[in-house]
Amino acid sequence: MGEIKRESPVRFTASPTKSEVRDNWTVALEYDEEGQGPWLVDLAHKTRWDLQDNKVGEQRPGDLTVPSAPGDCTFANNTLVNRMNRTQASIYHLGAAAPAMPDFSGYTDVTESTVFLALFGPNAFFIAEKLASLDFLDPAKTAPFLYQGPFCHVPCQIVTLEKAADGAGGFLLTCSRGYGDSMVHAILEAGVEFGLRPAGENCFNTWAQGLQG
Amino acid sequence: MALTLTCPVCGKRNGYEFRYGGEDKGPRPAEAGLTPRAWCDYVHMNKCTAGVQKEWWFHRDGCGSWFTTWRDTTNNLEVEQPEASK
Amino acid sequence: MNRLNQLPTLRINPSEKLSLSYRGKSYQGVAGDTVATALYANGVRVFARSLKYHRPRGLYSLDGECSNTCMDVNSIPNIRTENTLLKDGMVVKEQNVMGSADRDWLSFIDKLDWMMPAGFYYKTMHKPASMWPVAMKQIRKAAGLGVISADYQMKGQYDELFLKAEVTVIGGGAAGMTAALAAAESGQRVVLLESRPHLGGCFDYRVSATGDGTPLYERARELAEKVEQTGNIRVFKHTSMVGAYNNNLITGFQVGNADDVFTERYIEIRSNSVVVATGCIERPLIFDHNERPGVMQAGCAHRMARTYGLLPGSEAVFSVGHDLGLEAAVDLFDLGLKINCVADIREDGQNAELMLALAERKIPVLKGWVASKAHGSKKVEKVTLSTVEGTVKRDFPCDLLVASAGLTPVTGPFILAQAKMGYDSHTGYFLPTELPAKMFPAGRITGINNPGSIEASGRLAGLKAAAAAGADMGKTVADAEKAASTLPGPERGCKLVTAPVKGRKSFICFDEDTTIKNIKQAIDMGFDVPELIKRFTSAGTGPGQGGIPGHNLPLFVAKYTASINTPVPTTVRPPLVPTFLATYAGYNHHMFKHTPLNDSQKADGGIFRNIGVWQRARYFSDDFECKEEILNVRNNVGMLDGSTLGKFRIHGPDALKAFQRVYVSDMSKVKEGRIKYSAMCNDDGCVMDDGVVVKLGENDYYFTTSSGRAGQTVEWIRYHTRFDGWDFHLVNLTDAMGVINLSGPNARKVLAKVVDIDLSNEAFPFSGYKEFFIKDTIFVRAMRLGFVGEISYELHVPSSCTQAVWDMLKEAGAEFGIRNFGVEAQNVLRMEKCHIILGQESEQRTNLLDVGLGFLWDRKKADAKTVGAVALRQAEKDVGRLKLVGISMEDDTRAAREGALIVDNKVRGYVATMRKSFTTGEAVGMALVESQLADKGTRLEIFEDECNGVRLYARVVPMPFYDPTGERMKN
Repeated sequence: MGEIKRESPVRFTASPTKSEVRDNWTVALEYDEEGQGPWLVDLAHKTRWDLQDNKVGEQRPGDLTVPSAPGDCTFANNTLVNRMNRTQASIYHLGAAAPAMPDFSGYTDVTESTVFLALFGPNAFFIAEKLASLDFLDPAKTAPFLYQGPFCHVPCQIVTLEKAADGAGGFLLTCSRGYGDSMVHAILEAGVEFGLRPAGENCFNTWAQGLQG
Repeated sequence: MALTLTCPVCGKRNGYEFRYGGEDKGPRPAEAGLTPRAWCDYVHMNKCTAGVQKEWWFHRDGCGSWFTTWRDTTNNLEVEQPEASK
Repeated sequence: MNRLNQLPTLRINPSEKLSLSYRGKSYQGVAGDTVATALYANGVRVFARSLKYHRPRGLYSLDGECSNTCMDVNSIPNIRTENTLLKDGMVVKEQNVMGSADRDWLSFIDKLDWMMPAGFYYKTMHKPASMWPVAMKQIRKAAGLGVISADYQMKGQYDELFLKAEVTVIGGGAAGMTAALAAAESGQRVVLLESRPHLGGCFDYRVSATGDGTPLYERARELAEKVEQTGNIRVFKHTSMVGAYNNNLITGFQVGNADDVFTERYIEIRSNSVVVATGCIERPLIFDHNERPGVMQAGCAHRMARTYGLLPGSEAVFSVGHDLGLEAAVDLFDLGLKINCVADIREDGQNAELMLALAERKIPVLKGWVASKAHGSKKVEKVTLSTVEGTVKRDFPCDLLVASAGLTPVTGPFILAQAKMGYDSHTGYFLPTELPAKMFPAGRITGINNPGSIEASGRLAGLKAAAAAGADMGKTVADAEKAASTLPGPERGCKLVTAPVKGRKSFICFDEDTTIKNIKQAIDMGFDVPELIKRFTSAGTGPGQGGIPGHNLPLFVAKYTASINTPVPTTVRPPLVPTFLATYAGYNHHMFKHTPLNDSQKADGGIFRNIGVWQRARYFSDDFECKEEILNVRNNVGMLDGSTLGKFRIHGPDALKAFQRVYVSDMSKVKEGRIKYSAMCNDDGCVMDDGVVVKLGENDYYFTTSSGRAGQTVEWIRYHTRFDGWDFHLVNLTDAMGVINLSGPNARKVLAKVVDIDLSNEAFPFSGYKEFFIKDTIFVRAMRLGFVGEISYELHVPSSCTQAVWDMLKEAGAEFGIRNFGVEAQNVLRMEKCHIILGQESEQRTNLLDVGLGFLWDRKKADAKTVGAVALRQAEKDVGRLKLVGISMEDDTRAAREGALIVDNKVRGYVATMRKSFTTGEAVGMALVESQLADKGTRLEIFEDECNGVRLYARVVPMPFYDPTGERMKN
C-alpha cells in the first residue's frame, strides 16, 4: 500500500508541467502553453464549507462577516463568504491551506461534494452565455456576487469575481462532484472558439490576488 | 420556456429552473377527527382557476426554496398579489 | 452570364470563385452568392417543380417566402436555395421531379387540375375504403417536396447562445439600426438581429437619395458602421428570428460563416423590451401563370442586379402597384435592362419624380393596367396586360415579368406575441390594434416608406424601448416623437389583389399549388373564415409560412364573399422560418454523473449503463446473468461501487421533528452506534423512498436515500414542512462520499487487513455503525448491512479517497479472490433475499403495506402529521389491493420477464423481478398480485408479450428464497 492519493473529480487531457503534493492532493501549478486566456483551473483541492444556522449572520467564518443579502459575497484574506439564503452561506478557502473548521455544528465540510472550477480571462462570459441563461453581465450587479442556478443544465453555485461589459472577467463554479467529467468537457468544448485552455493554480492565484488588492 | 418566476432569494429566473408544487391549500390538517373525504380533498382536489391563483414553486436548479407566487393561468404570467387576498 | 462587377452596392466578391455541382456538372459562383443566384448566373431558370401539379418554378422572391427554389443541398432536402449562402463544393439536386426540373415527366399532372378541386384529397379517396392505401401511396409518390434519407446523419456543429439584453431589435434595416443606436444611447445592452448576411434592409441596394442627397445604400453603410462600432450593441447577422413568447423571450438562429465554429447556432434572448423592425415583403400579384419562371417580384429583380450583379433578364415588362416597383424599373433600365412597358395598377398617386424619370427614359407607362396572363410553357415569353377592369388587353414580349401588387408588413413577431391584429384600410395592412407589452414597431412595418420617416420611426421606437426597459430617457422620447410627426406618415396602399381572371391557373399559394379557383370552390362549399379555408385548401401551410398568401388570402376571401366586415387575418406559428431540428437540439451535451470509482470500474471491464443521472457498471463480463459475480459474493467476497446512493446530513433544533414528519417510523428511537432502516411515503401512503438513518448527535443525523431519489430529497422534506417554520438544515452529501459495498463470507477477513478496529460480531454487529480513520487520514463511516444477504460492510469514504480505499481492499482481498460485482449481480443477490428495490417491486400506486413494510410504520405519532399515515390507516381496510409475494416457476429453466402479467380471465397482477437463481437452482422472483392470489401455493398464470397464447405457470412460495433466518448476514 503506497501513499494515499486524493483524486480530483476533474481531469484535463494535458498533463501539468509543474505540480506539488499538498495534503495528499497533487496540485497542478502550471500547464504547457496556458496561452493568453481565457483559462479553466481545477480548484477541487480548495476547502469549502457549508454553514447553516437560523442566525447565520452572526457567524464569522475565517474572521469575515457573512453578508446580509442573499447573493452577496465577502472576499478578503483569500476567503470568500457567499450568502445563499436566509439561513445559509458557503465559504470557499482559496489560499494554500484552510484553517480548521470552527467547532460549531452549523458547519459541514463540503470540499468533497463538489466540482470546483475557475473560468476567467478575456471572453469568459461569452463562453458562459453558450452554456447558461444566467445574466452574469447584469449592469445592476457588482462583483463579487453569487448565482445559484443551472449551468449547462446542472444546478451550480457560481460566484462572479470580476466582470466587464466586453465579456472579460471570471467566476468560480461549483456543482455536484459527479458531473466533473461532463462539465469540464462541456466548458472546454464551448470555449474552443475563444481559445480556452486549462491552466494551473499559479495562474489562478495571480488573478485572485489582483482582485483582493 | 417563456415563463419566468421570481424566486424570493434569487430573483426573476427562467421557469424551467423551478418545479411546480400545486395550488396553495394551506397547512396540513390535524389527523384527529379527519374524515377520509376531507383528507382526500386536501390532497387531491384543486380549484383549477382560470385566472390568477396562488401557488407553490420550488427553485430546484437554484437556491432550493419553496415559495408561493401569484400567476395568471390564462397567459402564464406572474402577477402582483391581488388586493383582495392581501 | 456577365456580372455587373463594378456596382458599389454589390454584396458579392466577384474575384473569389466558388464551385458547386448541379446535375453532375460543375458550376461556378462567387463569394456572397446564394445557391440560387449562382445557378441563375449559370443560366438555370427552372429550379423546382411544384408540389401537386409539377409546374416549373423559378426565382421569385429572394428571402425564402416560397418553396420555388427549394432544392436538395448536400443531401439535405427542402433547402431554400435563394437565401442559402453558397459554400465551396456544394452538391445541389432538384427534388420532386421525375427526370429533371427542366423536363419533368410528371408535368402532365398540370393538365389534370380539373380532377383535383379543393379538398379532393379528403373527399374522393375514401370510397371504397380499400382503395385508400393504394391511392395514398401513389399520391405521396407524385406529390411532395424533398425526400429524407432515413440513415442520413446531419453534419456540422450546432450550438446555442443565451443572450441577455435590455433591448432586442428584430431587423437590421435602416429603422432597426436607428432604433438600436437610439436605445444604445441609454447605455443599455442592445441585441440586433438581421436575417440577411448583411445589415441594410431595403436601403441596402437602392441608389435613390435620402433627404440630404446621400444614396440610400451609402446611408445604410454609414448606419451599419455606427452600429458595429457601438460597444453596447451586439449585432447578429444572418440570424432569423423564429419565435416570440410572452415576457419578451425571442428565439432565432444564426447561420455560421465558413470561418465560424458553428454551422448553425440557436439563439434565445431574454430582454426587457423589443423593437420590431422587420419591414415588408412584397404582396404577390395574382394573375394567370403568375408563378411562371421569369416572373419575379420587384425587390427580387432589383436586388439580383444591385446585390448580386446579375441583370435578371434582357427584355422586361413591369406590373406593379407601388413606387418601389417604379424605382426598380428606372434603376434596372439604367443598368441595361430593356423595358417594354410599365403597368401600374394605380390610376394616380405615383411619385412624381419617378414618373418623370420613366418619361425621360421613354419607358411606356400604363396607369390602371395590370398583368393578366403570363405566356410561355417553361419560361415567360410574353405577357398580356389588361386594364384593371379587364376591358382592354394588349400583349408584350418579354423574358422577365416584374410583378408586385404592393407591400405586406412582416408582422410575425406581433402575432407570435399574441397581439390582436386588425385590418388598416389606409395602408391595406393587417397591423396590431393593441401592442404587446414593451414591444414597439419601427420602420416600414408601420406603413411608411419615406427614408427620413423610416429612420425617425426607428429612433423613436429605440428610445421608447430603452425607456420601457427602465432607462431614464428624459425629454428625448418626446423630441423624437415630435420629429417623427413632421415627416410623411403611412402611405396609402394599393388594394387590388387579383387581376381580372377566372383563376384556374392563378396561384394564391405556390408551396401548396392553391389557385384562386380552389379558394372559390372552398368558399362555395361553405367555408367562410380564412383560417378554415387555409386548412381546407392548405394555402399558406408550406415551407414559406404564408409568405405568399399571407395577406392575399384573407383579402381575397373578404372580396369574394362580399363581406361587409373587415377582413380577418390568418395566424402564424413558430418557427417563422424553417429551422433544422439539429439547430433546436443545439449543443445537446449529455450531462452524466460519474462515481469516484468510474475509471477503475471501466478498467476492470465494467459494462456501463445510464441509470438515472449516473453512469454505473451493470455487468463485469459478457455473461449478463452474472453467474460468476453472484457466486463469488455468496461463497467468497465481492466489492460493489455504491457511490450513487443518496447521502445527507440534517441538523438544527427541529431536525427530529422534520424526520418524524417524513419517515413512517418513530425516529426518536434511533440509537447512536446503530443504523435504523425506514421508509418515506407520499400523502397517499405510497412508498417513495427507503434508506438508513444514523444519529450523529442531538438533532444531528446522517441518512441515505435510494440513488434515484437523492435529487428530490431536499425538495421533499422542505415541501412537507413548508408551513411549519421549523429550524433544521439539510446538506446534500451524495457526491461527497464514495460508497464501497464489501460483501461475502470473507468480507470481515478482508476488511480486517485494512482497518484497525475490532470487527468481531460483538464489537461491530449487524446493523452497527462505526466511524474510524484509515491510516489516520481517511475518515470512514461504516455500516453493517445485509442487502445482498451475506456479511456486508458499507464503507462511506470521502470521494477523493474512495479509489485509494478501493485499491487497499482489492489488494487485501487478492488472496481470497476478491472481485467486482455490478448492479445486476446485486439485483439478483438481493432478490434471492426478497429485499425490495422501490420502483422495481413498487410502482406509483404501491403503498407501504402492499410491499410488506408495514412493520416500519409507527401509528402512535399522530402529532407529527406523518406524511402518508392518514392514507395508510384507510388502506389497511382496503381488500382490493395488490400484495407482494414470492413466486417460483414451475419450469425452473425459464424465468418470466419483468412486467409480465399475472392473469386468469383478467389481469390480476404482474411480475416485478424474476431471475434464474444460481444459489437455489430455481427460477424465482417477486410479483405484485391481488390479495386473493397471495396465499402460499396458489398457482399463477403468466402472460408474456408475444407468447402466442402459451402461458407460463408459477406458484406463490415463502419469502425469502435464500437464508430465511438471516444467519449468513448477521454472523
